[in-house]
Amino acid sequence: MSHTVKHTRKPELSLDEVVAKYPHFPRLIALKIDVQRRGVHYTEKALAAVDYSIHQMRSPYLFGSRDGQIKDLPESLLLRDGTTILTDPTPVEQDPYLVDLVDGKFALVDQGRFVEYTDLWPKPLYYDKKTSSGIPMSHIASARPQRLNVFQSSYCHFWAEDEGCKFCDIVTHTKQQKSELGVPSRLNPGDISETIREALKEPGRFTNICLTSGSVLKGKELFDQEVDFYIETLQAIGENFTTKKFPSQLISSSFNEKQLARLYEQTGLMSYTSDLEVLNEGVFNWVCPGKASKLGYQEWKNRLVRAVDIFGRGNVGTGLVSGSELAQPHGFTSEHDALKATLEEAEYLAERGVTTVFIVWVPRPGSYFHDQQNASLEYYVQLAQGLHDLRVKYNLGVDFDDYRRCGNHPDSDLSRLL
Amino acid sequence: MGAHLSEEIRELLASQDTTAVLATVDAQGSPHVVAGVPLRATGEGALLYLEYFESSLTNKNLTRSIWFDGKVAIALSNSQGQSFQITGKPIKNHITGPLFLEYYGQTNEKESLNLAAVWEIEPLAIRNEGVRFRKEQEERTHPFYTHLDRLTAA
Repeated sequence: MSHTVKHTRKPELSLDEVVAKYPHFPRLIALKIDVQRRGVHYTEKALAAVDYSIHQMRSPYLFGSRDGQIKDLPESLLLRDGTTILTDPTPVEQDPYLVDLVDGKFALVDQGRFVEYTDLWPKPLYYDKKTSSGIPMSHIASARPQRLNVFQSSYCHFWAEDEGCKFCDIVTHTKQQKSELGVPSRLNPGDISETIREALKEPGRFTNICLTSGSVLKGKELFDQEVDFYIETLQAIGENFTTKKFPSQLISSSFNEKQLARLYEQTGLMSYTSDLEVLNEGVFNWVCPGKASKLGYQEWKNRLVRAVDIFGRGNVGTGLVSGSELAQPHGFTSEHDALKATLEEAEYLAERGVTTVFIVWVPRPGSYFHDQQNASLEYYVQLAQGLHDLRVKYNLGVDFDDYRRCGNHPDSDLSRLL
Repeated sequence: MGAHLSEEIRELLASQDTTAVLATVDAQGSPHVVAGVPLRATGEGALLYLEYFESSLTNKNLTRSIWFDGKVAIALSNSQGQSFQITGKPIKNHITGPLFLEYYGQTNEKESLNLAAVWEIEPLAIRNEGVRFRKEQEERTHPFYTHLDRLTAA
């Protein structure tokens, strides 16, 4: 897929203006958000300086990118405070930040102006290895600066019923990855265990393992088969540890108490996340029709609260694809209203021990919302601050999903100060 | 780099006899001081502080400093009376990459501690706080700052 989308933005505050307006919000986190909103484009000079032996190149991922292409580009960026930016390669006509070379160092540049030096993600040693079954290990587990991602299955059953979430391109991207790279859409637990074992041979390289995949609706009860897959995978990963529990995150469908208890008791899993995506029932019903029809917003939310009894306060979370709540024609029509509604719902959850994090929505060509726009930088800064303030108010930790264990949530980047 | 790390300071940093103290500031402006911290000098003239505890107040304060351009203070002293104070600012937090992994390996091997971060601190100003040096300096620059009895024949 190579078609791209041309966006024209409404007038909005620039990075410098937002930083000036919110002086207590870290400029580096505001920059991260802006880079995620607008994406990046690597200059020829920057690409010529990439060293394949030390820099991590893009590896298979659950979702696609804003340019709809699979290209051999650096995976992503690190700022000088240790902040990770998961970036989307973006066509230059969509006004992304440039990753260029300034004084021989990689740097973010905007409108010809130097913004910040940046590092490319370092390549883990296991990326050069293959499993004994012959699959590149980078196709089994993808790395972030301090985390391992395992996407055991990249097919989402909501799509089979034409009820995929409207911001999501998981199945489009899976098909593209399979045809262009030969990435398996289901992973074998033996390959996963072997890859994790190899990755752990590099001391100090990883602090967390995250599992996620598309929803699987099958089973005696809804999602039973998805739970079975995760238990099998987590047990295979657990073979590599001497402790029963290991720092880990599962981002999955919304499981009932019986399913959650099985996960907790039978595996080393330490945290549980199930994404509501947008915190408003009406918008949720439109944006996430599959989740709405199979379980419904209220039950999805109630199950998160019940999960706290099993995993503990601060170990249960929900994620938002922030900005999609403003999609038209059925989303919020003002950022003010969206922010208010989102923070009210997040507070309800925080009071009950569930933490809310967001990712910056990137409208991708392979999704239903391919021609929409994400929100303003000011909106995201207010949301990040608002979610952080709730964690402060309710003394709610988010260690399992912070700047290091994840790196994709501007709000939990702020929890470094908690 | 703002201030030059002299050979004397580099030797002090490398010596087992040196006590290093790191002072940071919390959100309310209160100082937080930790003694016996591991510090190194880089070839480029920066200081490296090895943080073993991700949740430490020092680590939080350093994060706040790098976000909002705050400063830190470091004191180095030994049993011979050498003493320096370095004012600096954190310029980089290594949580991955070759520098972090190098120190992670060393820490793991020697001390069985879980290295959380390597903070790179740019020295901005250095003051000699050694007693002999300060005494001579004070007598020279502030002759009024003494007690009269010290000027009498014993």
